Amino acid sequence: MADRIKTQIEFLVALQDLDLMRKEISEVRELGFEVTGEGESAIGTARDELIAKIKKPYLANYERLRTRYKRAIVPVKGDTCLGCFCRLPTSLISHGRSDMEVLTCENCGRILYWLD
Amino acid sequence: MEKSELLNYFQEPLFISSLSATTRDAALDELVRCFVNAKIVRNRNIVFEMLRRREALGSTGIGHGIAIPHGRSTAVPDVMIAFGKSEKGIDWESIDNKPVHLVFLVLAPPQEQNIRYLPILGGLVEVLSDNKQREKLRKIKSFSDLTSILQS
Repeated sequence: MADRIKTQIEFLVALQDLDLMRKEISEVRELGFEVTGEGESAIGTARDELIAKIKKPYLANYERLRTRYKRAIVPVKGDTCLGCFCRLPTSLISHGRSDMEVLTCENCGRILYWLD
Repeated sequence: MEKSELLNYFQEPLFISSLSATTRDAALDELVRCFVNAKIVRNRNIVFEMLRRREALGSTGIGHGIAIPHGRSTAVPDVMIAFGKSEKGIDWESIDNKPVHLVFLVLAPPQEQNIRYLPILGGLVEVLSDNKQREKLRKIKSFSDLTSILQS
């Protein structure tokens, strides 16, 4: 599967999305959607492929945050971290929307993803 | 979830009366672009990749010409449904191998206050299991036609 995503923050968001997907497989199957055993193993492979693209410190931080919080990556809206509802400093805001850097909230430590 | 309640999650900018896409990936891309054009989603690539990975898990083509691609993404702010119709039909590797004419793309954020995502998916599956509803939907030409069906 050729990826369109290219940056570290995009890989991390894709990893969280994949982890969310895996968590809801049984619910989705109960609704009548087809989920094959082959598909489940393809998702496992996709996760391994994504992990291989993420730099070790970022991945370690993601995994560490996952054990501490429900979500390691939280959205930013109105320049506020929606994990701890702290307003982010201007220096951070100017970089966030480029999707080029992995930025974390100075207050709660969660990885930030700008929605707007 | 009641049929009329589903109406709350549709928007006119997320309605395509005639999809130009002829493949599943192109249809997903075309619908995701609606979210970007409506300034609901900023990074379409993240959402597109999530949807492609969801299709790898098993086709979201539920048969009878219907596909309900869906997923949660960190890049999505709220639960919303995009609709697209294809006259020609799109190969979606559906469970009955029939081409897909009606696509309902359901996107949701990772967390929601009212936990609406799964009830919405269930509600759509229920509405679309009715042959009469499917026939009506196949004939729609405008967003108001869609809302009329969901309100009836």
